[in-house]
Amino acid sequence: MPALEHILVVNAVLFAIGAMGVLTRRNAVLILLSVELMLNAVSLNMVAFAVYGHVDFGNITGIVFAFFIIVIAAAEVALALGIVVRTFRNRATANVDEVNLLKW
Amino acid sequence: MEDGVTATQVVFWILAVVMLISAIGVVTAGNIVYAALFFIASLAGVAGIYLILTVEFIALVQLLIYGSAVVILILFALMLTRARERPQALFGRSRPLGIAAALGLLAALIGGIVATTWTTPESSSAIEPVGLQAIGDAIFTLWIVPFIIVGVLLSIALDGAIMLASPDEDDN
Repeated sequence: MPALEHILVVNAVLFAIGAMGVLTRRNAVLILLSVELMLNAVSLNMVAFAVYGHVDFGNITGIVFAFFIIVIAAAEVALALGIVVRTFRNRATANVDEVNLLKW
Repeated sequence: MEDGVTATQVVFWILAVVMLISAIGVVTAGNIVYAALFFIASLAGVAGIYLILTVEFIALVQLLIYGSAVVILILFALMLTRARERPQALFGRSRPLGIAAALGLLAALIGGIVATTWTTPESSSAIEPVGLQAIGDAIFTLWIVPFIIVGVLLSIALDGAIMLASPDEDDN
């Protein structure tokens, strides 16, 4: 098994890459992809903690949390893509910096 | 690790490198369809790391829900919202600032990981695989109410997504 620190560092890099995508992309769907990368890093972290700690602490809550994260991410993707398709129909763009109707 | 580099660790690092390179591809690719394909590779890498961590159930869920359903949804949305008439800049004006902020976040996270003393079992024999039965027991006894709530949430969200994306009667 790889050391827990190594898994955590890999997940931190994945999370930072996802954050970079969220902060630099313009297209709403690509921002959503980057958010999914960040969610993957977090659930991988939870699974790592659960697997490395379940002998000592006697529960596997982290694995259940990863399962719930995946299910909720599916719901979130469906809703967000509905909003993106709707916005594209109304404004003819999927770029978040051109959707400024609510911007003061 | 006192027992040197094991085969599991080699496979873990190969998967991690593939996953991270694909993730970089997702956030830097100049073509949005390439970005989605890189995303599939990254998800497969994450599923492989789940397998190394001996949670094959989560790996299967990852492949079934993320690798197929979510990716197909995202590909459809990419196709539906592509503005074909003019080439689009894929990055915003604040790109250097975003990269700097992400690097700062990475430095903070890695600094925190390195500075913490982890009380983990040192040898791999102290880590037991989590069986499928244990996961089922946990989900269907201790977490049964959140499980039902998540099911209701998922069906409501999918209904809402269909309502959002379907055209109004007086639209056209």
